[in-house]
Amino acid sequence: MENNSMIHVENLHKHFKKAIKEPGLKGSIKALFKPKYDVVKAVDGIDFDVEAGEIIGFIGPNGAGKSTVIKMLTGILTPSEGFCRINGHIPTESRKAYVKEIGVVFGQRTQLWWDLALRETYMVLKEIYDISDEDYTKRMAFLNEVLDLEDFITSPVRTLSLGQRMRADIAAALLHNPKVLFLDEPTVGLDVVVKDNIRKAILRINEESGTTVILTTHDLEDIELLCKRIVMVDKGKKVFDGELSTLRELYGQMRELTFELASEKDIDKLTYSEKFNFAEDDFSIDAKGAEVKVRFNTDVASVEDMLSFTLSKVHVKDISVKDADIEEIIRRLYKGGGEIS
Amino acid sequence: MTKIRKYTPFTRAGIMESVTYRANFLFFLLGEIMKCFVMFFVWKAVFDSSDSETVYGFSYDNMVVYLFISFLSGYLTYSDGSYAIGKEILDGSVVMRMIKPIDFDMCFLFQELGNKIISFSLIFLPITAGVEVYRFVVNGRLMLDVPMLLLFLLSMVLAYGINFFFNLSYGFLAFFLKNLWGTDIIKGAVVDFLSGATVPLAFMGGFGYVLQFLPFASLSYTPVMIYMGMYGVWEIVFYLGLQVFWLVIFALISKLVLKLAMKRLVVHGG
Amino acid sequence: MRKYLRLHRIFIAQDLKKLMEYKVDFLMGAIGFVLVQAVKIFTLGIMFSAIPALFYKENGTIVDAWTFNEVLFIYGFSLIPKGIDHLLFDNLWGIGYWTVAKGDFDKYLTRPVNSWFYVLTEKFCVDAFGDLFVGIVLVVYSVISMPAEIAANIDWLRLIPVAFVIPFAVMIYTSVKTATAAISFWTKRSGHITHMCYMTNEFSSYPAKIYNNVVKTIITYILPFALTAYYPAIYLLRGEYPFHLLLTVGVSIVLFIISQLVWKLGVRSYESAGS
Repeated sequence: MENNSMIHVENLHKHFKKAIKEPGLKGSIKALFKPKYDVVKAVDGIDFDVEAGEIIGFIGPNGAGKSTVIKMLTGILTPSEGFCRINGHIPTESRKAYVKEIGVVFGQRTQLWWDLALRETYMVLKEIYDISDEDYTKRMAFLNEVLDLEDFITSPVRTLSLGQRMRADIAAALLHNPKVLFLDEPTVGLDVVVKDNIRKAILRINEESGTTVILTTHDLEDIELLCKRIVMVDKGKKVFDGELSTLRELYGQMRELTFELASEKDIDKLTYSEKFNFAEDDFSIDAKGAEVKVRFNTDVASVEDMLSFTLSKVHVKDISVKDADIEEIIRRLYKGGGEIS
Repeated sequence: MTKIRKYTPFTRAGIMESVTYRANFLFFLLGEIMKCFVMFFVWKAVFDSSDSETVYGFSYDNMVVYLFISFLSGYLTYSDGSYAIGKEILDGSVVMRMIKPIDFDMCFLFQELGNKIISFSLIFLPITAGVEVYRFVVNGRLMLDVPMLLLFLLSMVLAYGINFFFNLSYGFLAFFLKNLWGTDIIKGAVVDFLSGATVPLAFMGGFGYVLQFLPFASLSYTPVMIYMGMYGVWEIVFYLGLQVFWLVIFALISKLVLKLAMKRLVVHGG
Repeated sequence: MRKYLRLHRIFIAQDLKKLMEYKVDFLMGAIGFVLVQAVKIFTLGIMFSAIPALFYKENGTIVDAWTFNEVLFIYGFSLIPKGIDHLLFDNLWGIGYWTVAKGDFDKYLTRPVNSWFYVLTEKFCVDAFGDLFVGIVLVVYSVISMPAEIAANIDWLRLIPVAFVIPFAVMIYTSVKTATAAISFWTKRSGHITHMCYMTNEFSSYPAKIYNNVVKTIITYILPFALTAYYPAIYLLRGEYPFHLLLTVGVSIVLFIISQLVWKLGVRSYESAGS
């Protein structure tokens, strides 16, 4: 009632029953007579909302439950508990009507028909989604311009390169002008130039058609370039939900000090821990020959203090201070696994 | 001994695979044995329709034993290494086997032996026990002959060996053909017919007599005839010798085809 | 419905094109299917060379008899509904063997079409022409070469109800495959269960009277393949069992509804693969 968001997820759970198998021959024979099961909570109570027109980065380490959430949102899996509502639909209840309004791309496996020429694939989709001739022509022209399909539209899908196939897959998911686009690892395995093109295309589609985009990825550059907001899950629970800049502020007190020592032996003189009383999480030092990298928490020691301490102890050739990048932040989050509020 | 030890992990893997998919295996088996029961009823009607007790020298209970024992031996001596090898050759993953310091045909052999151990322990007893109970009821006395049973097992082992090398040679055809399933169906039909798996060769007159000497008869007909006690001592010696002969021939052929195929693979790789 | 037919047409065209591309493979497959049938017919020939006709006796007296031509006709007829199902609805086999286990069923659920229809339309199995060809040849040959006194029993008007019943016979095959393939939604793999149930159709190629009561009950009511072949064929030949045609229609509809329910429930329990 209170929320009119495009996607509303409430208390979502998915439990799988999993046969436990002990290793080795004995284990398999035991499983023959007395199979044991374990309940795996792949998704364990997740809530979030997405507004129309947003691009959301949905991230988490491997096995965190990302794909399971996406599969529930796209109507492939039925939730064990809780529900999700997308543009007024409960996915598994009105599946056919619902999937007309979404587009789905799984980066790891194509949804195109292996033996059909790409153009014929789109003809099939035109039938499946009841797209009128007029809309089809208009839409194809737009997608062609954004994704540059012209060169390979007459080739069978099996002959496409990975980059071409991904562009073709994204176009296939957008042909019926869906309100929500789910992208599961759309840049996996692609080279830098293709990645860049695909990101630009996603941004344009979002801007021009107002398509809401849910993106899962392990490539944090995707996140930085595309998403304002991220939802992070780990072990089936939500661990962060907010603007990327909030995340940066929360963890942004980390700085990185890089310099080159005049003499390698001087490294022993840099007794930061003793001087500033850093906790383990707040500090790390990394020396490769004369090159030294120091990461530290500015809540404990200011940049100024660190600089003057360093310069008072050793001679340096070159020195610089940097913000910790988003990758560093997320690495710390995955490792910590703790909840941030 | 150490040479064989190298391959025992493959046998273990084969056993574990079969145990994991045992339910699938049993369902598949039930489906296949359905054909035996169809023929069981059809032959019953045929014998009922005949004026004499025997048809081509077989009594009805001979025929029943033949149906089920030839199914059993066909199932246990069947080798589908050809399909696995063909598939690996076509998708190129065979290269992963070639770079290892082991004979890759032996990997398949030992893995399949693992499968066979499980299928043997699951189906041999029920089917032979069923057949013997049937014979006991019909004849009023126990017909099981232990020495014959042992010779039958020996003949089955030889039949499996021939089958393995025959199918291996066939599998290497994948180096030359693009697709194997069409020829696989043809091969299946031809082998079934020539090996007596569908009709006893004895029913085919002079043509059937000639077929007894071809390798196909060694695949299924010979063990079944031994089990049924249809062969005398000298015939048994002769047909077992013939099986050994075909085993050696096919082992040699498979080596030769492999050599030719390897050359071709190198050319392919450029 | 029109939508599915249009979709089917695109895939049929595609599979025919592929057939032209891989002519040799297709030819080999078709020859293989014909050979498999040839071996079975040769076996029938050997059987009949030892007997005048196939008798069914009760307490030593002959109650019913079928000539070689009649048995050939029944055998050939059985291949027709089987072949049509094979031609149009072969994709169901893959569901239980690998599609669900590998998680590839996902793609059928992200489209706004009925998932079952979608699976059916996606493949057109040209190999089935082998079965259909043998079936039609046997039916035609057995009628042409039939002794006049046997042929006299045939009333060609009966072909109308028999032709009407064939789509329902096909539906029996398709429903059995559907229901058993759907088991994989719970068990991941069920191709072997489909295989087991499907193989029961082997009983349908011969006169049903020769089986014992257990088998007869199974193939008439549970896995009712006898309704796809023996009963309609013998009705056409002799006018026997007219009510079994109604049974074919009724039973196939019941089976179809059951298979659809199992499928629907199954899709709800589908677990996809990996995470």
